[in-house]
Amino acid sequence: MKEIACMSGVELLMDFLEGVLPADVHAALEAHVAGCPRCAAFVESYRATPRILRDATATPLPDHVEASLKAFLRGRTGSFK
Amino acid sequence: MPSSSEPTDEALAAQAAGGDASAFEAIVERYQARVFRLACRLTSDTEAPDVLQDTFLQAYKHLPSFRGESRFGTWLYRIATNAALMQRRASARRPSEPLDGFLPRFDEHGKHLATPEELQVAACAEELLDRGVLADKARDAIARLPDIYRDAFVLRDLEDMPTADVARALDLEPAAVRQRVHRARLLLRGYLSDLVKVKS
Repeated sequence: MKEIACMSGVELLMDFLEGVLPADVHAALEAHVAGCPRCAAFVESYRATPRILRDATATPLPDHVEASLKAFLRGRTGSFK
Repeated sequence: MPSSSEPTDEALAAQAAGGDASAFEAIVERYQARVFRLACRLTSDTEAPDVLQDTFLQAYKHLPSFRGESRFGTWLYRIATNAALMQRRASARRPSEPLDGFLPRFDEHGKHLATPEELQVAACAEELLDRGVLADKARDAIARLPDIYRDAFVLRDLEDMPTADVARALDLEPAAVRQRVHRARLLLRGYLSDLVKVKS
């Protein structure tokens, strides 16, 4: 089995999580993370980052923007009359 | 997602393309919030209303050419993404401070320098930071990403689009999408760590 260091493992992380690595590399990285508390912690925060930013940037549609959109489309498409 | 009793996107698109105004209105009602959210993430809160309007106007004009080769939502997202990128090109963007300082750090053997606790803490950002502060900082961080990383990250990770759909929307190979999303995740993960005052 190939040896993987933290730094090279980090570079492979996206492909690892998407399941597109060759099987032997995937297994080697999986084994490294299982035995490396630093990488296990890194993977946890790496995976959490998109969810945290998704929740934090879920901007709702303001009523006045919706009203402007419909007025705009009314004038150009004949809808929302 | 429409319930089983509601018409599908594709059925509405066909009706709207045939001149049914109520079908087009239903499409707008169904997608306006999602398109606005995407526009905010790819541009800014102030530019997003224009992107929203342009997206639905372009969709209206091009509905007759929608052939169902992709899902309607994917097709509409592609229009919205193009509208957002056009808007961004047209606006004079202020130079933003790069996020390169937030990449992970390693010793000479390629081993993480930070402790497990420091490396994990970004995952707790929601618990450790005020919700409003986190929202402001998150928007700022995404705006500071280089555009090529921002676009891929927003579509893949924030809008939860499959990598293959992002590749089609941005005219990239899937491997290039993964590389860009990965880089964005590394930068943003480090940024979140820094927000809670940990260099990792």
